[in-house]
Amino acid sequence: MDMVLALVLLPIIASFLVLLVPLGRAQYVVSGVVLAMLSGIAFALYTSMGLLTFQLSYTMNLAIIVVDVALLLFFLYQGKLFNHPKVMLLAAIQLVLYGYIESIASEAGSAEIVVDSLSKFMFLIINGVGGIIVLYSVKYMEDEPTSPLKKRLFVGGLLVFLSVMNLIVIANSILLFFFLFEMTTLASYLLIAFRNDEVSRANALKALWMNQIGGVVILLGALVAIIGFKSVMFDTLLQSSGGMVLFAIALLSMAALVKGASIPFEGWLLGAMVAPTPVSAMLHSATMVKIAPYLILKLAPALAVSMVGGLISIIGALVFVAASYLALSRSVLKEILGYSTVALLGLMMALAAIGSEESMNLAMALMLFHALSKALLFLSAGVLERLHHAKDIEDMKGMVTRSPKTVGFILFGFVSLTLPPFGLFMAKLFAISSIASLLKEHPFNLIILLSLIIGSALMVLLYFKVASALLSAPSDVRASEAVTIPSGFYVPLVLLSFLIVTGALGYVMMQHNIFIVLLALPMLLVFALPSLIRRMDRYDRTQPYHCGEKEPFDAALVYYEPSNKVQLLLYWSFGILFVAVAMVGALS
Amino acid sequence: MMWVWIVLAPILGGLVYGGERVLRARMQRRLGPPILQPFYDMFKLLDKRTLIVHAPHALLAVAHFAVLWFTVAAIFLGWNLLYIIFLHLFAQLLLIVAGYSVRSAYSHVGANRELLMVVAYEPILILVAVGLYLVSGSFEISEILKSGGYLMQLPLLFAALLMIVPIKVKKSPFDVGEAHQEIVGGVEVEYSGVFYEFLYMSRFLEYIFIYSFVYLFGGQSHWLGALLVAGVFLLVNLVDNATARVRPAQMIKIIYTVAMTLAVLNLTGVLL
Repeated sequence: MDMVLALVLLPIIASFLVLLVPLGRAQYVVSGVVLAMLSGIAFALYTSMGLLTFQLSYTMNLAIIVVDVALLLFFLYQGKLFNHPKVMLLAAIQLVLYGYIESIASEAGSAEIVVDSLSKFMFLIINGVGGIIVLYSVKYMEDEPTSPLKKRLFVGGLLVFLSVMNLIVIANSILLFFFLFEMTTLASYLLIAFRNDEVSRANALKALWMNQIGGVVILLGALVAIIGFKSVMFDTLLQSSGGMVLFAIALLSMAALVKGASIPFEGWLLGAMVAPTPVSAMLHSATMVKIAPYLILKLAPALAVSMVGGLISIIGALVFVAASYLALSRSVLKEILGYSTVALLGLMMALAAIGSEESMNLAMALMLFHALSKALLFLSAGVLERLHHAKDIEDMKGMVTRSPKTVGFILFGFVSLTLPPFGLFMAKLFAISSIASLLKEHPFNLIILLSLIIGSALMVLLYFKVASALLSAPSDVRASEAVTIPSGFYVPLVLLSFLIVTGALGYVMMQHNIFIVLLALPMLLVFALPSLIRRMDRYDRTQPYHCGEKEPFDAALVYYEPSNKVQLLLYWSFGILFVAVAMVGALS
Repeated sequence: MMWVWIVLAPILGGLVYGGERVLRARMQRRLGPPILQPFYDMFKLLDKRTLIVHAPHALLAVAHFAVLWFTVAAIFLGWNLLYIIFLHLFAQLLLIVAGYSVRSAYSHVGANRELLMVVAYEPILILVAVGLYLVSGSFEISEILKSGGYLMQLPLLFAALLMIVPIKVKKSPFDVGEAHQEIVGGVEVEYSGVFYEFLYMSRFLEYIFIYSFVYLFGGQSHWLGALLVAGVFLLVNLVDNATARVRPAQMIKIIYTVAMTLAVLNLTGVLL
């Protein structure tokens, strides 16, 4: 239990330190030490056995209620301040619901905090990847045109957020979970609005009201649980049976769909891309949105082989295809990455909701490897933004001559998402055979299989389209000298790449299948290629063939954009599916 | 014994390619080149002075060939069909990145089109693998070849496979990737001499790759498999002679609507 406590308290202590120590080297030291300690503890916990439980004292519970009410009042105030009726309305609904539930909630029967193997796994992702992003953010903030205090607050805020994340994955009480869920919503809101311009403000408010829908459905779920079973604990809920269980579970999984930015809620995650890059990496791809698949995994025992679970997995799978498709219409790199995050979160939720042991393990593997790869990609995108002021892939043409190493990291990120032997690819591959083996008993899984196959193909198109922009060089751009990446950026990128490679090695070895190990051979071949480059000196060089034309070369990129009508149809159908989850839950 | 076949695979593919040129010539009432022409071409290429644009570009072609050969070896050794499909994807992506890595409009457009082709045929190949799995109970080629009756149970899926064969062997109406008259061979344009030879041999291996999928539908009966391959071979060349090239976007549309529907209908039928 001490180690878990350390995971929660260490980031908070560190965030105070970050506020106090001078900018520059001391900040690196603090964040580096925190990263080392947190990931060390998380790893130690992961390898340890057993279930840890902890009961909160009366004063602690009271403090949580007070803070929670204050938080909701703050949301209400923000809605009033910026004249946003949706934010106000949703905050008011939550206040009423929360007050009512607390008034009828009985004394807690079982422990509010339970650390199980799923929580331990989440610790690995949160502290490993999150810690690296904090380290990166120190350098990123150095170049941000803002006051020193805000810079400190930013890094400190990210650290506090890590602590919140560490708590949310061990919350066993739905009300505690709600409180922490709202805290992550608050973090999103504040960090998206960090630059405080008009667009940031509008997008932050959008994130606020959409995420509050998640809060409302969690409270409704808690209400159903209390009325039905007199308990607000996840474990009691999952162990009980009866008509109301599925309704509560359905409401809770709807919160996952909101937090995971499934269509039609993907707007808030896309809007969040105006925030500083560490925010996008930390909250909107690597850690916070992982609450969505985490919640579904937690609920999976009840979701498996139920109508609700079937519906959730179908929604997730359809989101995977639809978001990959919509991403093809975008040209801002961070938005493309955002859409692909939405898509993959959908896939994770789909696999988690199937609920067989194999598919749940695959969802977990996807979570880990997605966090690593996406963090790498977002942080590299941030480097391009900082060093070359390029956000749009149209402006990134020929980036390989200007920033070869960054492009190398991005290409590596894409490869790690699409090709063997890297974890994400492997998990997708196993998912195909796993779902295929379930097809005979559950023919509906054909929809999931089909989505998985088509979505993966679209993603290959998406990533390599971006790669083509990075690699192509218009001839009118003179090759400028390559800009070196500052070590504040370089170290996190190398760490993430290292983790991706070791993770892949570990995952491949874990399968105990010689053929899977052999799948890694082509990648080894590719890694061996650079050593052969010297040998190529004996061949004569030539210029590319231009068919006699002297026009400057500019290769166009592939874009696919659905018409407005199709888009509208898409949003409406996903909206209906979202509501259907609650209805199916209520009826079954 | 199998190793001999694996080593000889490029030569086998070369013979198929040579045979195809003869067949097409006869369909057009021409005499056509001798069946060994691909090998004569290879010797000629070896004689040429090799010019390269830059080293990674040239090396990627070699890697493409090597991975493709590895894929074909995996087929002969009876591996898991899914692994084979993704190894092939790997090989294709190496070629695509090579195409993007030179500043040539033709190479870029060609790579774009190769990418679209991957997006078009990849889902169908996986669905074929899933279909064979549903009937035989295994993704392993060696297991799939032990039972039979695929053609009876998966006729529509076979039709879907038929539709993507022209994409892989670059035949009309889906020869968008090289489209010699439009984009001067696409990704191949910047290769010469010995490195072009690697690409040329990759093409032989592609023949083996895609026709093995056709062969699988024969199941345990080698005769049926061989007959299917011969029939598809004839049909593809007949269609090639009789149709014009479609645009890349049309290709995607045709495959995603017609072939996909056929495959899904068939799978649903098997499941229900």
